Amino acid sequence: MRAACPPLPAPRTPPTLAGDLAIWIFILAELLAFGVFFIAYAFARANNPELFAAEQLALNRDAGAINTLLLLTASYFVVRAVHAAEAGQSRHGARWLVAALGCAAGFVAIKIGEYAAAFSAGISLSSSTFHMFYLSLTFFHFMHVLLGMVILGALWLNARRGLYGPHNMNGIESGAAYWHMVDLVWLILFPLVYVIR
Amino acid sequence: MNHDIRSANRRSTVLWVLLLAATVFTWAVGEGGSGGAAIAALLLGVAALKGAAVILDFMALARAPLLWQLITLGWLVLVCALIGLAYWKGMP
Amino acid sequence: MKYKSQAVAMPYFIAAIGLFVAQIVFGLILGMQYVVGDFLFPEIPFNVARMVHTNLLIVWLLFGFMGAAYYMVPEESETELFSPRLALAMFWVFLIAGALTIIGYLTVDYATLAKYTGNDILATMGREFLEQPLLTKIGIVVVALVFLFNITMTVLKGRKTAISVVLLLGLWGLAIFFLFSFYNPTNLVLDKYYWWWVVHLWVEGVWELIMAALLAFVLIKVTGVDREVIEKWLYVIIALALVTGIIGTGHHYYWIGTPEYWQWWGSIFSALEPIPFFAMTVFAFNMVNRRRREHPNKAAVLWALGTGVMAFLGAGVWGFLHTLAPVNYYTHGSQITAAHGHMAFYGAYVMVVITIISYAMPILRGRACNSPKAQVLEMWSFWLMTIAMVFITLFLTAAGILQVWLQRVAEEPMSFMAVQDQVALFYWMREWSGVVFFIGLLAYVASFFVKGKEQPAGA
Repeated sequence: MRAACPPLPAPRTPPTLAGDLAIWIFILAELLAFGVFFIAYAFARANNPELFAAEQLALNRDAGAINTLLLLTASYFVVRAVHAAEAGQSRHGARWLVAALGCAAGFVAIKIGEYAAAFSAGISLSSSTFHMFYLSLTFFHFMHVLLGMVILGALWLNARRGLYGPHNMNGIESGAAYWHMVDLVWLILFPLVYVIR
Repeated sequence: MNHDIRSANRRSTVLWVLLLAATVFTWAVGEGGSGGAAIAALLLGVAALKGAAVILDFMALARAPLLWQLITLGWLVLVCALIGLAYWKGMP
Repeated sequence: MKYKSQAVAMPYFIAAIGLFVAQIVFGLILGMQYVVGDFLFPEIPFNVARMVHTNLLIVWLLFGFMGAAYYMVPEESETELFSPRLALAMFWVFLIAGALTIIGYLTVDYATLAKYTGNDILATMGREFLEQPLLTKIGIVVVALVFLFNITMTVLKGRKTAISVVLLLGLWGLAIFFLFSFYNPTNLVLDKYYWWWVVHLWVEGVWELIMAALLAFVLIKVTGVDREVIEKWLYVIIALALVTGIIGTGHHYYWIGTPEYWQWWGSIFSALEPIPFFAMTVFAFNMVNRRRREHPNKAAVLWALGTGVMAFLGAGVWGFLHTLAPVNYYTHGSQITAAHGHMAFYGAYVMVVITIISYAMPILRGRACNSPKAQVLEMWSFWLMTIAMVFITLFLTAAGILQVWLQRVAEEPMSFMAVQDQVALFYWMREWSGVVFFIGLLAYVASFFVKGKEQPAGA
């Protein structure tokens, strides 16, 4: 009976996580932290929608949108870097990482401008519940962008030395996954805090 | 192999452009100044779709074990649903 | 024992266990005073018994941490300790200073003790857990600095591993945050604010690093799992512990006069503090399941797994129960806090110190592990103490819920002392659980003296 079976098609590679299990556990914890923060924001807003809407309107949505574009683009560049490493072109991938770092730096610059404007307008953690959330959420995310940049920098140093290749993807995939997480949470943060009323 | 990577590159590029477009759309709705339940639901839906694209393609979870897909997408759905619930609760 | 100088850990471990016994004796006295108010009065008033109970806990855990460091660091660094003599000298300084302090607590009244020990030069006394006289505090700093010097020099001259780096980070943090015990601003809000920098940033910050390092060390030894795998987990755990623990300090800032945003920050981040503990549980079980060998010291493995579970329950779950600001508004400073404190300290720090003692002590005594008979007794002590602690926690939780209800939620709230009478039944049950705990502890001590066929060292 067995012999009569037709030969099986060549097996596809079994499903695997891109990156180390440890970084994924860490990412899950981060997602949980941001998730709790978002939900807390949403329910705090439900108690006082008018106040939230009024102060939300005063935010700089242009800056928020440009920052979203920058993070998405950085993420895309990181994807290209990973693909380049997979094709055995680690050094080529390093250039994509530099581009990603450039976008991230742009994000940081715009964010600092936003904070400067907010502080000069007298906005602080204690000025209102909305501003508490606005500053806390964006600053918590801001710290993650900075950490993400350190990680991308480390990937860049390694990629430049040609360290990554089809048989050594663990490091670059782990770092990339972390960066995408930073992007992912911003994709919710931006509409939630800046736009949806 | 290289063929696979080229097609993966193409897919990611298309998604990137779509993600940029979706962001501009969200921004434009915000500038339009309208609010309300429908708009909130629409924008949350767009955010969820963008998140799913990043999770499945950029984070390469499309080729990860099912459990991990469920966890990450489940996070996205749960967070968006609870935000939606809170907004619905806060409707005047 | 791979390095001769590891032997200095032995007196530290013995002192730790001795002080542990004393701590539990005072715990029993204290538990009795909850229901029989004038028990041993005026010889040992309630406030003194409480002070001795909590101070002894901290001191013996510090003995345990130091002993653990002296045992682990030479082996991790693959070199002898920088100065075993210094380590031994500091042991006696610390032990004598600790003993004198406790004698001071018990023999003179607190105000007199304060006068004799220079509290009018620099007032640091009178704050919960930091009651030590100025001289003792200075002594602790000196001992800690010499200890850190010794350990750091050893690490610097030898191999640097993730475990020793994390351990050093934790121990240095412990010393640095203790310095805030000398800062005692007159503004009560600021006083409390910085008081938590010692108390919280110890137990929910740097001590977690020490705990993770101890656990990782023992797990490498008893499971034979690759160091790389264990180190990866270690990094994740400490990152999670620091991220949640540092900002989680905010859960103490709800009602002391600090800005309102702490209610959000504290609630959100401290709600995530169970995560590193959960990761430690998964870590411990995962490593034991993937073990490459059967270590003959079954008792040590049991303690390691127990630490994972009990730390998660006590610190994680019981902490989460009352950490959210809207809940804490009602439960603050009730018996629920006491329930959490008991199980968290036992599950996280008591058990991790016993884990390393259980692993290291037989080796220090020249054998790979104790005889099966001794191990059986030790495992009995594990179950007795652990189950007793679960019951202590459950009874205190019940007392706490009832207390919160009667005192703070009910239509016609009762006064504090009236409520104490109402929950007396739970206090009695807690006291009996404490007796069982004490029996378990005696069994633990006895297990060191059980003879039997032993395995030779090096197995």
